[in-house]
Amino acid sequence: MILPIGPIHPALKEPVRLKLKTQGERVISAEIDYGYVHRGIERVMQGKTWQKGIFLSERVCGICSYVHTQTFAETFEKIAGEKVPLRAQYLRSLTNELDRIQSHFIANSTYFKALEHETLFMYMLHLREPVMDAIELLTGNRVNMGWNVVGGVRMDAEEKHLNSIYQIITNLENEYDKYVEMFDDGPLVSLRSRDVGKMSKEDALKGRAVGPIGRASGIKHDVREDHHTYQDEFDWKPIWRKEGDNYARTMNRFDEIRESIKIIKQIIENIPPGDVRTKIDIPAGYADWRNEAPRGEVSYFVETNGNLIKNISIRTPSIMNIDVCGKYMLQDVATVADAVATYASVDPCVACTERVVILNEKGEKKEFDGLHKVKYLK
Amino acid sequence: MLDGLKDVVRKSSIHVCLINTGGCNGCDIEVVALLSPRYDLEQYGIYVHNNPREADVILVTGAVTEQWKENLQRIYSKAPEPKVVVAIGNCPLTGDVFNQEGCSVYAPVSDFIPVDAEIPGCPPRPSEILAAILAVGPDAIAAKGRQKP
Repeated sequence: MILPIGPIHPALKEPVRLKLKTQGERVISAEIDYGYVHRGIERVMQGKTWQKGIFLSERVCGICSYVHTQTFAETFEKIAGEKVPLRAQYLRSLTNELDRIQSHFIANSTYFKALEHETLFMYMLHLREPVMDAIELLTGNRVNMGWNVVGGVRMDAEEKHLNSIYQIITNLENEYDKYVEMFDDGPLVSLRSRDVGKMSKEDALKGRAVGPIGRASGIKHDVREDHHTYQDEFDWKPIWRKEGDNYARTMNRFDEIRESIKIIKQIIENIPPGDVRTKIDIPAGYADWRNEAPRGEVSYFVETNGNLIKNISIRTPSIMNIDVCGKYMLQDVATVADAVATYASVDPCVACTERVVILNEKGEKKEFDGLHKVKYLK
Repeated sequence: MLDGLKDVVRKSSIHVCLINTGGCNGCDIEVVALLSPRYDLEQYGIYVHNNPREADVILVTGAVTEQWKENLQRIYSKAPEPKVVVAIGNCPLTGDVFNQEGCSVYAPVSDFIPVDAEIPGCPPRPSEILAAILAVGPDAIAAKGRQKP
């Protein structure tokens, strides 16, 4: 029997359609349809200046909106062959880590909601709100910040605001372990998560899983290791696990928050004085750049004629992660409830994925297909 | 008397369905932030469950994409009367940054379904969303409920 879930369904926060092939309560395989929020951002960006493009790139995804602007700006800086001032690099990393913390909190809270564990769901949102305050103090907005520009950041952070952020992060760190233990040692949630939705390292490599989902299956790959600021300035290490089940994915995100707190403390303690923005002249050229979004690796491929964007392609992590979820995790799951929890555990961000455009096969007339289908029915 | 009783019931228990018709997710997570202990949506008797068949208030976030042109009307018709539609953010009002040449969005939402309240902002703050739901929700639902078909 095929059990359709979505696009609007109590279990889902975003429009996507899961088709579960079931035998009794057991889920045999799954098919995921998406295409409900395709807006055509890449097409709109063509022929625009970067000043307009950066706002569009911010609205690729509302949860990890910050890292998109950072990657967009750093791609243009790579075309120009320049680096931004050190203080701007520090401030960018600071916002990136704050954004990662709030994104991981909302991912874990969605997972607990899918498990019907309302208590931890509320606690996660309770911990998230002070972090949103910190982002607002720094950038002036909660979600779409409009803070990055090519050549630095839009405004400098004040000393008192940095101190408040340090205080918020210290408070978070002090009470953080209590909530992680509730999950880690909890007989209810932890046992329901172990050995559910398992994905081996080979499958993760085959399906190109990235981010916490890939790292929970044993792929030691974090793009921050290649980033010049993180390489040179901060003392940190990527988090990875071996189990590859729902428990590992959730705990991986919990541990990454702890690592982010460590980085933020180093940033605020060591932030150098100086300019936050330089003027960069952009020549014609092509560049690609990768960054670690909360959900994994996000890549930008930009071609410009010096003034306007000629071509742009954005590759977001969720497309691979939702893909491996349908292909490897949702195979032979014990119950439908576990299948929904597994889907929530990969932290699906549908708005990210929806810029894939399929041209028609003849290639002469560029028609939007709009609906990108991934089928894995046997 | 029956109308008065129905008014009380309708005003004090509002079920909300959230429909993302092609936004960036920003407004959706601000609605999720409303569930957090700081804002605590449920103290006002509002319950977010994303089920259109039980919904009194439909929150629409996002410009209307190709896939939603027909489906939005279908989902709207599935919600029982009386119902109220609240459009959150700039996308359902104007299409925001997506509504440019070459896009595939069909804003505004009011072309497809009747909209009762509009909250501009990209995204609006959670307190603004809460205020709008409370301003339009209880009374409009009660008033619509009294109209005879």
